Amino acid sequence: MIQYSRFELQNGLRVLIHEDVSSPMVAVNVLYNVGARDESPEKTGFAHLFEHLMFGGSKNVPDFDEHIQLAGGDSNAFTNNDVTNFYDIVPKENIETAMWLESDRMKSLDFSEKSLEVQRKVVVEEFKETCLNQPYGDVWHHIADMAYEVHPYRWPTIGKIPEHVEDATMEDVKDFFHKYYHPNNAILVVSGNIETAEAFKLVKKWFADIPSGERLKRTIPQEPPQKEIHFRNQQAKVPVDALYLAFHTPDRIDKDYYATDLLSDVLCNGKSSRLYRKLMKELKLFTSIDAYITGNIDPGLLIIEGKPAEGIKLEDAEAAIWKELELLKSELIPEVELQKYKNKVESALVFAEASILNKAINLAFFELLGDAELINEEAKFYQAINTKDIKRLANKILTRENCSELYYRAEPIDETD
Amino acid sequence: MQIPDRTIAPLKKDIQKIVLPDVENLHLDNGIPVGLINLGTQEIIKLEIIFNAGRPFERKKLISRATGKLLKEGTKSQTAKEIAETIDFYGGTLSTPVNLDTANLTLYSLKKHYEKLLVVLADILNEPIFPQAEIDSFIQNSKHQLSIDLSKNEVIAYRKITEFIFGKNHPYGYNSDAKTYEAINRDDIVQHFQKTYTRKNCSIFISGKVDTQTIEITNKHLGNLLPAGEKMLPSFEETNNVPGLVKIEKPNKVQTAIRIGRKLFTRKHPDYKGLNILTTILGGYFGSRLMGNIREDKGYTYHIFASIDNMLHDGYLNIGTEVGNDFGNATMDEIFKELKKLREEPVEEEELKMVRNYLMGNILNALDGPFNVADVIKSLALEGLTREDFYENIQTIQNIRPSELQELANKYFDEENMWKVVVGS
Repeated sequence: MIQYSRFELQNGLRVLIHEDVSSPMVAVNVLYNVGARDESPEKTGFAHLFEHLMFGGSKNVPDFDEHIQLAGGDSNAFTNNDVTNFYDIVPKENIETAMWLESDRMKSLDFSEKSLEVQRKVVVEEFKETCLNQPYGDVWHHIADMAYEVHPYRWPTIGKIPEHVEDATMEDVKDFFHKYYHPNNAILVVSGNIETAEAFKLVKKWFADIPSGERLKRTIPQEPPQKEIHFRNQQAKVPVDALYLAFHTPDRIDKDYYATDLLSDVLCNGKSSRLYRKLMKELKLFTSIDAYITGNIDPGLLIIEGKPAEGIKLEDAEAAIWKELELLKSELIPEVELQKYKNKVESALVFAEASILNKAINLAFFELLGDAELINEEAKFYQAINTKDIKRLANKILTRENCSELYYRAEPIDETD
Repeated sequence: MQIPDRTIAPLKKDIQKIVLPDVENLHLDNGIPVGLINLGTQEIIKLEIIFNAGRPFERKKLISRATGKLLKEGTKSQTAKEIAETIDFYGGTLSTPVNLDTANLTLYSLKKHYEKLLVVLADILNEPIFPQAEIDSFIQNSKHQLSIDLSKNEVIAYRKITEFIFGKNHPYGYNSDAKTYEAINRDDIVQHFQKTYTRKNCSIFISGKVDTQTIEITNKHLGNLLPAGEKMLPSFEETNNVPGLVKIEKPNKVQTAIRIGRKLFTRKHPDYKGLNILTTILGGYFGSRLMGNIREDKGYTYHIFASIDNMLHDGYLNIGTEVGNDFGNATMDEIFKELKKLREEPVEEEELKMVRNYLMGNILNALDGPFNVADVIKSLALEGLTREDFYENIQTIQNIRPSELQELANKYFDEENMWKVVVGS
């Protein structure tokens, strides 16, 4: 059970404070309600590039990291399809440094040409390092592109192509800042060794004078239901074949979200799960296999991915997966099997509460979903799911017309080690 | 509304004092030493069982890894499937990481399921059978994974640099290929298990919400386990390689991986504490010289780092990055310019202050929560260091002078003793 207090400043900034005096540190987390889904199709990867620019200095802070480091703290950020999230962890004595830094870049980011020029290059190198230079690194580009035809989830957060990042202009940067980076489009969480009253006082001091921005009106095209299977056969310079199945799932606030999560667990979470046991260990059709959900705010995906064992054809590997999926659609899973995954979830949720940063990020995300209290209710939602829910969702989600299939084939590599 | 003066940075307080939480030391009935760290707010427990069973104790390459990875794959009374079912059912996580020096069993558990999971763990240690079918599938899956890893430039660069620094038959330097995996057989594994997974080679750390009942339960299930055995002594084959530059062409890649390094020493060496601070200045945090120059000024890379990697019996300097193919030579030049600068110019107090504060905050953060504290205490114990060493390290961070750092740079950051590996085009 996580105790927290919630306030809203007059400028619309939502603030959550969670005390945990067992830690010597305080985490300050600022979530901005903007992600890759807000980008235009011609300028993909921009939300993530912008995250980099947020470290490029603000009006009164030429060097963000210098101050964090001098305060004995650490700072980082991540961007995904839905949000851009910044966090600082500082010794409790230096909480005010983090407040000063975060509020200054929220109020008046310094639009530095040098920073834009350098970070464009840095992000292009990141694109190469994580996508182009890695075996299977562009798989997510393929899956997103196959599964989504109109929704902006059809490109990955890093961007569709490096050129989009290379072409970003200072005008884009300014527009983006003014549209999305203001207090009424942000959620601030302070978590750790600080009294609530003190934290609130500091938040008011540093954030209350930041002017609100224009209320965000989102018009994200929603993906129509898929009508038939999408298939792609891709050759690449990888050492072994790989297989990916992607199924559309309910959105994050749908009541079936939690059952969908458990469905993916039943398929392949842990060494006792169905696909691992049957297809990898028993039939030896795969050398690795996994299933998971993407957890996006808008309808996301359930992914099954595996690498077939030597001599096993992709077609046969795929057929074996479908056989397992059909079983889930036709038979109720044993109660004890469902209980196992409920127990695993219970354990994971308790462990997640051991870190002040984790708690801060989760509180911000649930507040964004509409209610921070979800952080304490999730366990209950999972426990309420029954075996019929699993069967019902298997029938709804794990169908061919709802599926995108990627055959990722190894072409012979002509180089030697 | 109160308008803050944003032009003035809030006063920063230096961290004056860091306290290493206490550890309670005791022994199980069979003599295995246990360190208990009772901390935290959650009803959770981490149990770590550590054996001197890593590479320095192998009779054949990869046997320590194979043994660790196959421990959970069947006992006299339970199949691999049954073991996995029980662990998953009680929401536990049991991993068997094999590091270079040690082989561990690490269990994360809700306190209420701790005993149920301990029973499985005890069985795994008591009567593992290492079924041939599981060994075969371990070999096949590992070979598959290896072929994927070897398609990454940075993996090749890492393998080469450690091989050159320590030697290709040294426990810290050797690399595996498909043939190394194929040569693994069951006898080697059984023998390795019998010799190294013994009381005299074992230590245990328990952290989280630990109470007397936790200790009793642990003793009940692990307190009469394992034969005494003989304490293992590590063996190392030294190398006389002369450092140099090695280039490996990979024409089809868009980035080049660079590794630079040299042999150093363990954390017990008198120069370690200071050199670790110097390495942090070079490339150990976001504001480091390499990050500042090669990423934040020139944009050649997404990430570049320098660290001292320590094993129980040795250590090495490890500088690494992946850069666009056009920037490979320029990056190499800049890295050596930064090393030269550290040799020739004393670090300014302003920069040093930042590194002192960063490292102090880092240590404070590394002691946040029971599992983190347990990791710090475990490392000290395994490496033969004391609580005094922990506090001396803090004093060094707070007091080291620029002239001392410059001396260390001249002693260890010279170009002639560095291995350089470049993989790409």
